[in-house]
Amino acid sequence: MLTRLKVGLLSKVRRFVSKGLLPLVGAALFCGIAQAEPVTLRFTCHEGNEALKVLSGLARQFEASHPGIRIKLENNADYGTYGQKLLAEFAADDAPDVAALGNEDFVQFARRDALLPLDDFVAQTPGFDLSAYYPQIVKAHRYRGKLYVLPRDIAPKGILYYNKRLFDEAGIPYPDSSWTWDYQARPELKEKDFLWVMQRLTKFGTNGKPTQWGFTSGWPELLPTTLAVSSGARYVDDYENPTRVLFSEPKMIQAFELASDLMNHKHWMPNNVDITSVLQTNSRALFEQQKVAMFMSGIWEVPELRKSLKPGTPGFFEWDIARFPAFRDGNLILTSGGSGYAIMASSRHPKEAWELLQYFAGPPGMKALAEAGLSQPAIRAIARSDVWIPGPNTPESMRYPANRIVTDQEVDAVQFEPTSDLWTGIHNILNSKVEAIYAGTAEPATALREGTELAQNRLDVLRKDERLPLFRWPIGAVVGVVIAIGILVWVYSAGRKEKLSARQRREQRAAMKFLAPWFIGLAFFTVGPMILSFLMSFSDWDIIRPAKWRGAGNYVEALTTDPRFFVSLKVTMVYSLVAVPLGLLGALGLALLLNQRVKGMPIYRTLFYLPTLASMMAASLIWQRIFQPEGGILNNVIYGSDGKGNFLGLASFLGHYAKPGEPINWLGNEHTALSSLVIMSLWGIGGGMIILLAGLQGVPEFYYEAAVLDGANAWQRFKAVTWPLITPSVFFTLITGIIGSLQVFTQAFVMTNGGPNDATRFYMLHLYDQAFQSLRMGYASALAWVLFLIILVLTMIQFRMSRWVYYEGSTS
Amino acid sequence: MAVPRLTKPVVSAVLIAGSIVTLVPFYMMLAMALKTPNEIATTSAWSWPAHANLDNFHEVLSNPNVSFGLFFRNSLFIAVVSTIGVLISSGLAAFAFARLQFRGRDRWFIVLLSTMMLPGIVTMIPTYVLFKYLHWVDTFMPLTVPAFLGGGAFNIFLLRQFFLSMPREMDEAAYLDGASYGTIFWRLIVPNSGAAFATVGVFTFIGSWRDFMGPLLYLNDPDKQTLEMGLRTFQTLNNTQWHLLMAASVLVMLPLIVIFFIGQRFLIRGIVMTGGK
Repeated sequence: MLTRLKVGLLSKVRRFVSKGLLPLVGAALFCGIAQAEPVTLRFTCHEGNEALKVLSGLARQFEASHPGIRIKLENNADYGTYGQKLLAEFAADDAPDVAALGNEDFVQFARRDALLPLDDFVAQTPGFDLSAYYPQIVKAHRYRGKLYVLPRDIAPKGILYYNKRLFDEAGIPYPDSSWTWDYQARPELKEKDFLWVMQRLTKFGTNGKPTQWGFTSGWPELLPTTLAVSSGARYVDDYENPTRVLFSEPKMIQAFELASDLMNHKHWMPNNVDITSVLQTNSRALFEQQKVAMFMSGIWEVPELRKSLKPGTPGFFEWDIARFPAFRDGNLILTSGGSGYAIMASSRHPKEAWELLQYFAGPPGMKALAEAGLSQPAIRAIARSDVWIPGPNTPESMRYPANRIVTDQEVDAVQFEPTSDLWTGIHNILNSKVEAIYAGTAEPATALREGTELAQNRLDVLRKDERLPLFRWPIGAVVGVVIAIGILVWVYSAGRKEKLSARQRREQRAAMKFLAPWFIGLAFFTVGPMILSFLMSFSDWDIIRPAKWRGAGNYVEALTTDPRFFVSLKVTMVYSLVAVPLGLLGALGLALLLNQRVKGMPIYRTLFYLPTLASMMAASLIWQRIFQPEGGILNNVIYGSDGKGNFLGLASFLGHYAKPGEPINWLGNEHTALSSLVIMSLWGIGGGMIILLAGLQGVPEFYYEAAVLDGANAWQRFKAVTWPLITPSVFFTLITGIIGSLQVFTQAFVMTNGGPNDATRFYMLHLYDQAFQSLRMGYASALAWVLFLIILVLTMIQFRMSRWVYYEGSTS
Repeated sequence: MAVPRLTKPVVSAVLIAGSIVTLVPFYMMLAMALKTPNEIATTSAWSWPAHANLDNFHEVLSNPNVSFGLFFRNSLFIAVVSTIGVLISSGLAAFAFARLQFRGRDRWFIVLLSTMMLPGIVTMIPTYVLFKYLHWVDTFMPLTVPAFLGGGAFNIFLLRQFFLSMPREMDEAAYLDGASYGTIFWRLIVPNSGAAFATVGVFTFIGSWRDFMGPLLYLNDPDKQTLEMGLRTFQTLNNTQWHLLMAASVLVMLPLIVIFFIGQRFLIRGIVMTGGK
């Protein structure tokens, strides 16, 4: 399928090529892959190590039984970037033949005709029986009546893992399918009442803090939404084409109030702060450490549980799974995960791809994954056979959990979440308010009402975009060329009137030669994508379908209705205003110190530079632990190990922001989260230090000698000699520091993801969400160009004010 | 620089204190890399492992999906080639901006800087499309060739600042002696800019080594993957394997420490050449 966008890009590229890139392309073509027999299928997935091993083995078996088809397995374990890459490949008409997609992400491709409907294959393949699959999972992978993904697995999100030892200790019988829940505990029902069991399994220490919780869910939203949906609430009015967000309906509020009460008042469940900030762990680890007795999630937790709970090793305890309790009227509705494989519409080998689907999302693939304990087969007969349900022949290490038949029983309760791809963006906005409930910092009713209002506004905007006219590419191309010519004219109009001497002309010719590589790179790799993104900023473009014309709509939306534009701009500006000067001063001080002749100087330099060598992701994870409220080193220093210290008076100062008697929760408190990221940024001043150090090394020593002879003291020497000579490096560090700080992304993405309450909602986070979560690349482009303009203005002001910079070899 | 005797202990004390603060996160990283998963879950992040051993490193190195040796060679190739490219091409451009007069120079410079100002997220897809039509996808070309064509605004700007602070009389004298601009660049500017080139070289090498998005987008073949990509297999959708992730992080970082330790010697040599006359 060739979309209009791709036609536009294509012609752009052709223009580049015809301009003289051909020799380069010719060389590159030799690196291209020659298409020849046998057929090679590109197959992309996002698996962890264990599953990847299974899939690699399956691929080899498939190749052996299907001569003429080869599989090129392209795996990217990182789910976030998996989608990004698939979109980029699709836009470039370079998509793989088969892609792993799930019920939560296939619609964004299917509704844009990026996937091949499978119904004809199903009908025409003798012996293929779609009715063998769980009907729920097949339905979840249909869109507008057509099947787009052949499901491989199903995973109801309502498996209750329980610790048998803790049940025994409390003298409570193990849960079976007959238990229920209500909005309050019902002691008369005893073990048949979920809340009663939860309370009995919670233990408090002498300080009144829980030492063991009754229950936790795999992620905070899971419990309240399951309760709400089971008692009859809905997320939106129409799951395929939502027009109204229903999160502030009474049933929804009631369910969230119950969850909030359990987490923040009764403490039968740990709240979000307890889990992520205080304990620095996750729900599964709490279960493994016997800190919670019951844990709700999907069946995918099993492989890790088996690894950490090996029979016969320390830390092992007996455990099993049960069905999540139904509402008092017996009603139970669970959401589910599910995934499988889809054929991309651009594939040139759909028949071979269908063979692959039948194998990997059919009995051979399902059996292999089930035997490894990795996923519940989507074919009911296999899900009930002994490859999945433990039988007498099952090896001991694979016996847990024994009661695996509940995975099959629960499928009957499954109802999938909204399938519309508008949902991702709406859900995201909704959660920015709802998250506060799980942290105990907002009342459920208020948060849900505010969140729903924001989400509804967003939904209305998104729905309006559906009716826009197509982007007019010829006009776009003309505008693009005009912009390029305009820039050239502007550049060359400078000093055109001046007469050049023979030497100046020679110098000019030499300059063009020195700049030639940069000019080529600029023309071929930089200008095109930049201009294109500028054009896209006037469009509504979801990367997959043809772009639509939105005029100035994106810019108007940013300045008027976008709930996060000004918030994110403010957060970014404040960060920049604090982090850049502090970082510059720190780097300068460090560079001055490291320029001294002290023993072991190379070691010190390397040590201070180390932080910039570390993987940003690993470093961010470590820093999360440093900022832990309890047991984090920062709070250990401030409050002392007994919690009563007051280092430099900081404990009293922070007392204004923390809950009384509690240490500050650095990343989880909206007053300190941004400061925490500034502190972390100071750890990385090594980069600036190296640049300034290199500048200092360039200061000739005889300048100092002359200054000493003149009787200058240390400060005078710094002011008269050092400072002027390093101003060029300082200026550089300042300019690039500001540009970098306005584009901060990774730390916030890993550590806070914008929260709490948007306190670290950096501009780039917002932009990224728009581009790749909500698939609004046009709007993201507009945001990018607003940022571009801001940075440009700030940079130009600094250049205008740069008289303080001293260039020894300046020519003008 | 001559330092009065009294201040030396003070300087040392400040540096030692600073080093300790800087090293705390690395201590944690190393401690976690040496612990068992169970130990990570149950002990404080500050504690040293009870039975420190290299099991996690063994597990990382023997993972069949992450062929460390091969990924190491790929990372090294890409980093070395692009560092060479950046040093040459950004040096050339910076020389023109700093030492030569030409029409529209200041405005070209604004154009140069402006290429740093647009977030890469929105140019990512058009750039991918471009490389696809050049048939460069699944080759190392997108990760190396651009380095030879400009080498990035950051590096050009950095070198320009250094070239601008060198005395102008130097090339003036050479010019009057009949030296070409090429000779001035290669014989005068380059040898006197050791520190600046070392800085750019170190930055580029590290940036390329740690790049994740670039290799992820442009390399499909499992045999073409880089170390940073291998590192990410230890953090998946619903599971972070702390012990392996930290062990792998340490392994990926080690070569960079060596590179930097070598590179920073050039930073010192810079002073010898420019100031030691």
